[in-house]
Amino acid sequence: MGILHSGIVNSLPGAQVKAICEKEDFLVKVARTLLPKTVAVYKDHIEMVQNEEIDAVFVTTPIASHVPLILGLIRENSAISLFVEKPLAASGEEARKICDGVRDLRGAYMVGFQKRFSPILGRAREIIKEDTLGELVSFRASSFSSDVLREGRSWRFSKGTGGVLLDLAPHLLDALLWFFGEPVSVESIKTRVYSSQVDDYVHAVMSYKSDMKGYMDTCWSMRGYRLPELMIEVYGRNGTLTVTDEYLRTMLNRDTEGKTRGETLLYKQSFDTSVPFLLADSEYTKEDQEFLACVENKTGPEVSFPEAAKVNELIDRINCASQVRG
Amino acid sequence: MIGDNPFIGVSHLSQARARDRIQKLDIERIAGVIDKALSCGASGYTFSIPHQTNLEILKTLKKEGKTERAFGLYPILPYAEVYVRAANEKGMRGLARDLMSRLPLGAKARVLLQGGISAVTFDPIRMLKAYVDMELSSYLSVKPENAELRTVFLHEVVVDLALSFGLVSIFDSFIEHVHDKYHATPGFVTRNFARFVDFFHDNISCNDLTIMTPFNRIGFQMNPSRELCEKHLAEFSNGGVFAMSVLAAGYLSLNDAVEYLRTLSNLSGVAVGVSSPDHAEDTFTKLKTLAS
Repeated sequence: MGILHSGIVNSLPGAQVKAICEKEDFLVKVARTLLPKTVAVYKDHIEMVQNEEIDAVFVTTPIASHVPLILGLIRENSAISLFVEKPLAASGEEARKICDGVRDLRGAYMVGFQKRFSPILGRAREIIKEDTLGELVSFRASSFSSDVLREGRSWRFSKGTGGVLLDLAPHLLDALLWFFGEPVSVESIKTRVYSSQVDDYVHAVMSYKSDMKGYMDTCWSMRGYRLPELMIEVYGRNGTLTVTDEYLRTMLNRDTEGKTRGETLLYKQSFDTSVPFLLADSEYTKEDQEFLACVENKTGPEVSFPEAAKVNELIDRINCASQVRG
Repeated sequence: MIGDNPFIGVSHLSQARARDRIQKLDIERIAGVIDKALSCGASGYTFSIPHQTNLEILKTLKKEGKTERAFGLYPILPYAEVYVRAANEKGMRGLARDLMSRLPLGAKARVLLQGGISAVTFDPIRMLKAYVDMELSSYLSVKPENAELRTVFLHEVVVDLALSFGLVSIFDSFIEHVHDKYHATPGFVTRNFARFVDFFHDNISCNDLTIMTPFNRIGFQMNPSRELCEKHLAEFSNGGVFAMSVLAAGYLSLNDAVEYLRTLSNLSGVAVGVSSPDHAEDTFTKLKTLAS
């Protein structure tokens, strides 16, 4: 993710990558040999912020390193802006430590939930908030991938920093929080498929203050998924809405003022997704543009650290609910 | 050109549809689709490597003489998903170690992973060339007699990343290697066409490169805008440009696509995926009218 963000940022007007920090000897050598001499390469992040005049740092390291790394950067420079790749931390407690740490920070701080910049998910949220579906009754949601079809060896498979809830599910959980707010109660079931230390499949049922209930399934060991796929289907008294990474479909039961009855189907192609520079997906570019605008204008991004910490709190609740139920 | 997306389960409109479609396709059927497309005017096959399905397709076309028509091969490397998945599973160090162990670089270079060689002696350009050779070799060894390697494309993951940092040496060395070793045209896939053309114009001297980039009526994946991409296409004079995503991943009709492509004056060709013999016939018969 560091390579992706650095490429985008270096291509956006008004921004320049001044330095990178990498601990792996081999990658340090690759970077020093390949990158332009205008990009300094460090092995220590504190040394980097001490030596370089930089406005912002993108933290795209393993989750376990987020707390010490972020707090260390803040100690060195209380005006620095920080972008952290999702999730913010490995637990709610760690996320709170980070939120406490940035309380007096003068820079912007944002977490990389790029799906908030998906025009499809954005439109789906508008439809839900506009009350087009009527009173919300229930939802079902899923996030599946084929990322883990045997035991892995990286930090993603270590207890405390890995597992499907911390790796694949955060985007879905953030979208559910964005759409519906925080649930009042959570129940869950977790299963291991290939991993020995972490969960590969999680099912969670959530209840809300409004009496709406819903469930989500997440599994990174499903076969046949070239890319991770997200789906949320919402049932209201006046119709249903289905949103994925690729399309948004609404089925309305009856006319309401200004609303079309029947099916409406919008694909990603229905929206203008052109960006100044594209790497991987336009959502990443839009996310980085938003962050850089916040850095320049000294404003707070929508997905600030406290907002992103809600995902960690929800993951903790899902984990806790499963443990209580045995 | 026939594109391989339907054969390897890729759809930028609906991954669920791609999964369904791939269940109905076996290698024999794919070979039949390719033969039909070639008989209706297609002149080449562009495909991602490394991908086992594409290796099997070439083997089948060669072994069973599925088509007697001469056609061009336009491989694209590296197919990024393979490496992203490996990096997730093994970490960046594990991925680098695996890759280095496969490269024909000799023991000295492999010591790099243990940090035994200084950065001064490290040559990533040599690694890039060795990587291209390693990936291409298994595919070229099974290519049918009537197929000719015409262009080797560098995948957009590498092209657009190198473009973002202005890494002239990556482009220069790739061009030189494809020319010298394969006597083929160096190709680049990009989703940042306007910026790419400006960069090449200012930094690289090569007059026979091939660019493959999206062109469609709704501007899908045309960055920074459809208008700027069209303007740069009209002015481009350093080689050929192949349009991809002409159907915006299946969102547009073929008639829509053909009508739009007619308005572009400087295109060398089109790459499009087809999933059945009928689909191939309909698509390439209509696309062929663009050449007239």
